[in-house]
Amino acid sequence: MAEERKQRMTATAAAAKIPKMVRANFTANLKAKEEGRPVAFSFIVNCYDEILRAMDIVPAWAESYSGICAAKRDAGKYLEKAESQNFSRSLCTYATCGLGFEYWRNELGGEMPPDAPWGGIARPDFILGTGQMLCDPRYKWPQAAQHYMQDVPAYIGGFYWPPYDENMDQREVENYYLKYAVDELKGAIAFIEKQTQKKMDWNKLEEITDLVDRTWDMFIDAYELRKARPTPMDTGDAMNTMVPLAFMLGTQEAYDFYKDLYDELKGRIDKKEGVAEDEKYRLLWGAGLPPWFALSDFQYFNNKGAVFPAERTYREAERIDRLDLPKLSDPLERIALRWMRYWTHWYDAARKRKGSIPEVERLIEYIEDYQIDGVVFHKAFSCRTWHSGILLQAQILKEVYREIPILVLEGDIVDISSYNEGATHLRIDAFIEVLENLKNKC
Amino acid sequence: METTNDKGLALVETYYKDYGCQARAMKKAGKRAMGYISAVAPVEIINAAGFTPVRIKGDPNEAVTKAYSSMETLVCPFLLNAFDLALKGKYDYLDGIVIPHTCDSVSRTYEVWKRNFPLPYYHFLNVPHLDGAPSLAFFTQILKTFIKSLEQFTGNGISEKNLAHAVLAYNELRQAMRDLYDLRKPDQPLISGIEMIKLLVAVKALPVDESAALVRQVTEEVKGRTISSPQKPLRIMLVGDQIDDTGLIEIIEKTGAQVVMDDVSVGSKLYYADIETTSDPVYGIAEYYLEKVSLPTFYRDRGGSYDENLELRFGHLKRFISEFNVDAVILLVYKNCDPYGFEVPATISYIESLGKPVFYVEDEYSSSSSSRLKTRIEAFLEMFTQERR
Ligand code: SF4
Ligand code: SF4
Repeated sequence: MAEERKQRMTATAAAAKIPKMVRANFTANLKAKEEGRPVAFSFIVNCYDEILRAMDIVPAWAESYSGICAAKRDAGKYLEKAESQNFSRSLCTYATCGLGFEYWRNELGGEMPPDAPWGGIARPDFILGTGQMLCDPRYKWPQAAQHYMQDVPAYIGGFYWPPYDENMDQREVENYYLKYAVDELKGAIAFIEKQTQKKMDWNKLEEITDLVDRTWDMFIDAYELRKARPTPMDTGDAMNTMVPLAFMLGTQEAYDFYKDLYDELKGRIDKKEGVAEDEKYRLLWGAGLPPWFALSDFQYFNNKGAVFPAERTYREAERIDRLDLPKLSDPLERIALRWMRYWTHWYDAARKRKGSIPEVERLIEYIEDYQIDGVVFHKAFSCRTWHSGILLQAQILKEVYREIPILVLEGDIVDISSYNEGATHLRIDAFIEVLENLKNKC
Repeated sequence: METTNDKGLALVETYYKDYGCQARAMKKAGKRAMGYISAVAPVEIINAAGFTPVRIKGDPNEAVTKAYSSMETLVCPFLLNAFDLALKGKYDYLDGIVIPHTCDSVSRTYEVWKRNFPLPYYHFLNVPHLDGAPSLAFFTQILKTFIKSLEQFTGNGISEKNLAHAVLAYNELRQAMRDLYDLRKPDQPLISGIEMIKLLVAVKALPVDESAALVRQVTEEVKGRTISSPQKPLRIMLVGDQIDDTGLIEIIEKTGAQVVMDDVSVGSKLYYADIETTSDPVYGIAEYYLEKVSLPTFYRDRGGSYDENLELRFGHLKRFISEFNVDAVILLVYKNCDPYGFEVPATISYIESLGKPVFYVEDEYSSSSSSRLKTRIEAFLEMFTQERR
């Protein structure tokens, strides 16, 4: 049974629309399955968005479903199922939640597990993963899921970007990274064509690639409005408003959503409507996926006059003109290079500031642009990829930039057993006190 | 076991106990050593650049004390332990460290190593998780960039001849190791699991020629052994990643069972295939690491059925079980290890489908957990022995 809990109040009408949109995404994959249209498991930042949409594949977002189970505080039963299969509790809990679900579904002969939140997630026709630097579950999760869906094929494409090296300009090696990424995207298309017996519509792919460019720009334009004082939207809402970017990229709906968000935020700014009644402290959500079962903690910050005008998490887009992209005609090259430059475009700044690293440059940029007073990190124990290196980022930020109050919260994304509301609130209180003292000193 | 001459094994003991002593001594004599993490750092290239490659290992008997302030505990406990050793000065003699992209723990701590354990050279090697033609072409380029960076660092070129020579030297070591592994095949293996792991670890911090010579020497020594016990031991295969200590094997072998084969990343994973001597040695090296080293950090799928994929992933285990006449398998996975952790159910069911029992244990890379481990392993082996009777 899901526990009763406090709902987070959204500041924007846009964020309030999101639960319906997420639900529609899941209804869409269940309906597609019923109608025999192809459904694929996919994972965010997998760079297949344009391809999926151009080939009319209905994505079933595996991480999103685990997030939903967590937000409903109903993931425990799947985590237990996974544990009964010897998946360690220390593994990515998005993945173990999803794998517990698939194990259960397999036990039931392919039937949906009972009382699945929102009716469940469709059993996919195929799985699209990636081998990349983002995280191991992006190729291990599909492989592990196949253990319970042995008839479901998977395609894992390699998608890498040049690592940061202060002694080397990443553009020196970019060409071979690009060639590899394009070859692997071609592989994805060939795989989907084989699965669906349908050819890629290259004109459509190009149109969607243009649409994604525009969506990235619109997303950033809307988010940059949060620089205003008081900020019209904070991270609590952004954990919702990321949905179209992460799960609906390549659709007109996603673009329209950010256009509406832009208009709404402009209106709020004109009316000087802020997130907090009295905005006293502006914070950056520095790194870390959120505890989905405890998004009300953002409200707790807001009630204390602390707002988050920016966050590193789920800001997986950049204004296209900042990426300094050459004119390319091949949509696959455009997709690949756009992603690659997204990851690498902080490298130059890091090389210029002695002792810095790209992750910290990004924090500094947000701190300056959004007039930030303190940084909050969330360390989710089960995800190494975003959450190792937080200590380092905090250390370097202070070394190369300035003393700035930092709070590191600990917990998880899905596993509620890691969470203690009372202790978390006490830590937030103490942090607010630090911010207050600092303010009084200035 | 009795042996007539055990100079080689005595050397192994020294090198195992004082890991890196030879590389340290060579450093004093003006030679250079390059540290690396995991099984997929191409030691052939490091060697061709004039370094003794030294695999970074941990020490489960050493409590982690210094690492916590700069590395998160949510990463691989082996890595945390090894980093702690580095902070305590254990790897001060290194000229640099190469960190390949193997798993999230390793990749995401690259900057942490670099920042907190500064050495003149660091390199992140972007090893893809895939095989197949595009991945091979890509990884060949990655290796060429690595070569260039080593050349810049040393000021010396790395010729194809140097590379080809290093490839031959490592192939020679691989052959020597396989010959020694063969001596574990008889009903009464000629070398114990404890001796074997010590040797496997010892050679990880030696120049390749010395390693091969040492392996040959040990092989000759143990060939001369006469086994007095008439009892055939229970034959165990150990599966896991960075098992670089005798602790677990001691627990197993004290029960009378014997570790006769391993599928660990300091062991057989590295020795059961050779690098093809291709016209472009870099391509041969790329092919070896991507296609022939069986690690769960590589995704294997040639478009076949799930069962065919299982053979690509675990077929070598089937061969080992049959060739080494393995009775049971112990699978050890460290906490926080995604690559191994996600394939535990598949690994277990694959091995069980071969009619062999598997004992799976999740561990912390610390000797402090060994008493718990001991009781569980003893119970498993006892139960299994009784069932066999
Ligand atoms: S990024 Fe983290 S939470 Fe997301 S799938 Fe990867 S390991 Fe899991
Ligand atoms: S044991 Fe696992 S987590 Fe640790 S280094 Fe090896 S693959 Fe990575």
